[in-house]
Amino acid sequence: MIEFRNVSKQYSPDAVALRDLSFNVDKGELVFLAGPSGAGKSTLLKMIAAVERPTAGQVIVNGQDISRIRSSAVPFLRRKLGLIFQQQRLLTDRTILANVMLPLLVTGSSHREAEQRARAALDKVGLLERASAQPLALSGGEQQRVSIARAIVNRPQVILADEPTANLDRASANKVLDALKAFHSVGVTCLISSHDEQMLDAAARVIRLNHGQLEVAP
Amino acid sequence: MTYWFRQHHYALSVALVHLRRAPGSFLFNILVVAIALALPFMGATLLDNVRPMSEQLSVDPELSIFLKQDTPRQQAEELAVLLRQAVPDKQAKIIFTEREKALETLKEKSGLADVLTTLGENPLPDSYVLKLDAFRLAESGGDVDVLAEQIRELPGVDTVQVDSAWVKRLAALLGILRLALLLLAATLGTVVVAVVFNTIRLQVLTQREEIQVSKLIGATDSFIHRPFYYTGALLGLCSGALALGAVALALRPLNAAIAEFARLYASEFQLTPLSPPLMAGLLALSAGLGLIGAVLSVQRHLARVQ
Repeated sequence: MIEFRNVSKQYSPDAVALRDLSFNVDKGELVFLAGPSGAGKSTLLKMIAAVERPTAGQVIVNGQDISRIRSSAVPFLRRKLGLIFQQQRLLTDRTILANVMLPLLVTGSSHREAEQRARAALDKVGLLERASAQPLALSGGEQQRVSIARAIVNRPQVILADEPTANLDRASANKVLDALKAFHSVGVTCLISSHDEQMLDAAARVIRLNHGQLEVAP
Repeated sequence: MTYWFRQHHYALSVALVHLRRAPGSFLFNILVVAIALALPFMGATLLDNVRPMSEQLSVDPELSIFLKQDTPRQQAEELAVLLRQAVPDKQAKIIFTEREKALETLKEKSGLADVLTTLGENPLPDSYVLKLDAFRLAESGGDVDVLAEQIRELPGVDTVQVDSAWVKRLAALLGILRLALLLLAATLGTVVVAVVFNTIRLQVLTQREEIQVSKLIGATDSFIHRPFYYTGALLGLCSGALALGAVALALRPLNAAIAEFARLYASEFQLTPLSPPLMAGLLALSAGLGLIGAVLSVQRHLARVQ
């Protein structure tokens, strides 16, 4: 599903984010990316979404070489991915329902269809009753669950989550993790970066990064 | 088609939502752009009103030949044959106007009927109007001033007046005015584009987060650009409508003053608003200028938002 082949990323001679990285993530796998701050976890996730391009090597997603993808094809790649960020990046000028509808409107869904599917997605993360609330009226954990709903509303093949529980208390973090596991259980490939050791203990597979290099890739 | 319509409907609704969020700023921008558009629109209205008059006036050479008061009618009518021989352009029109008919026309058109009646005797002579074709005259080697001199020598002729000179001057003046209006329109059109450019730049800055999120969830460039294009076109369209409205309002006091002036010349000249097709054309032009400003701004500023 996702394959890194000798991938390196260098921003400047003194700033190397990833060094000769190679690993595979199979379809339907739940993989955690671990490592200290600056290890290269975010850069790795950004490469899968074509936010960053590798300096060397190849990133293959679903058989497609992302490192050589044309700019005009990037939006269509991203529609197959669900992106979750540490800062939820919800749009504060609209309701959470409108936030979740946005990926569907982007792909040309009708307003009615988008609303139906967005409500269903909010229901899955337990926030349907807050559909008309503004993002700033929600707690951090709830905001992160809204961003999960936004990520899954387009039925993506892969979910990429960058430190989704970083700013949350344990109870909220568990709820977010449970939501992600629920989507993994229905066959969605999940790649989650985290430095939360408690979360990693429960993980089936962990890829550890340090200074842009692979430590363990089972 | 449904997809295309849906995408444009969404873009338009997003543009309207953004405008509703900052109505004061949008209205101020409309006012600025409308002021810039009103000047050339007013110029176009004036030219459009003057144009039919200038088109009716011939720029071809025309000679008015006034006969001596004591010339017998028969001699006056026979002069047509001599005129035909004198004119190199054989297709020139020679129109004879009897003095009685000339007086009648003067009474009708000048509004001086009472004054003319008090004169008792008809002061006007018999006359000819010689309508020449400038091209044919030049082709046959003729010159209007030389011809006027020749006609002056004919028996019974009192004065010969070359009538086309002032028409040519008027046509030249209108040409200069048209060019000046074009230059003014180009300058103010640039102002419109610049105002819209800056408005869209500010919108891009305030909606930076939304643009970034949209890109990350798979929005294409055209999906992101379209609402800004609609905003620019709407700004141009609303400003154009306001400018046309302002010009129409300005015509009222202008017409009141013109009516007073025209009455002195026994005329009923009034400035009329532009025709609906011309107005629609100017509205489309305004929207087009707004769109150009938006496209330039989006191309320049959105590329920087990643």
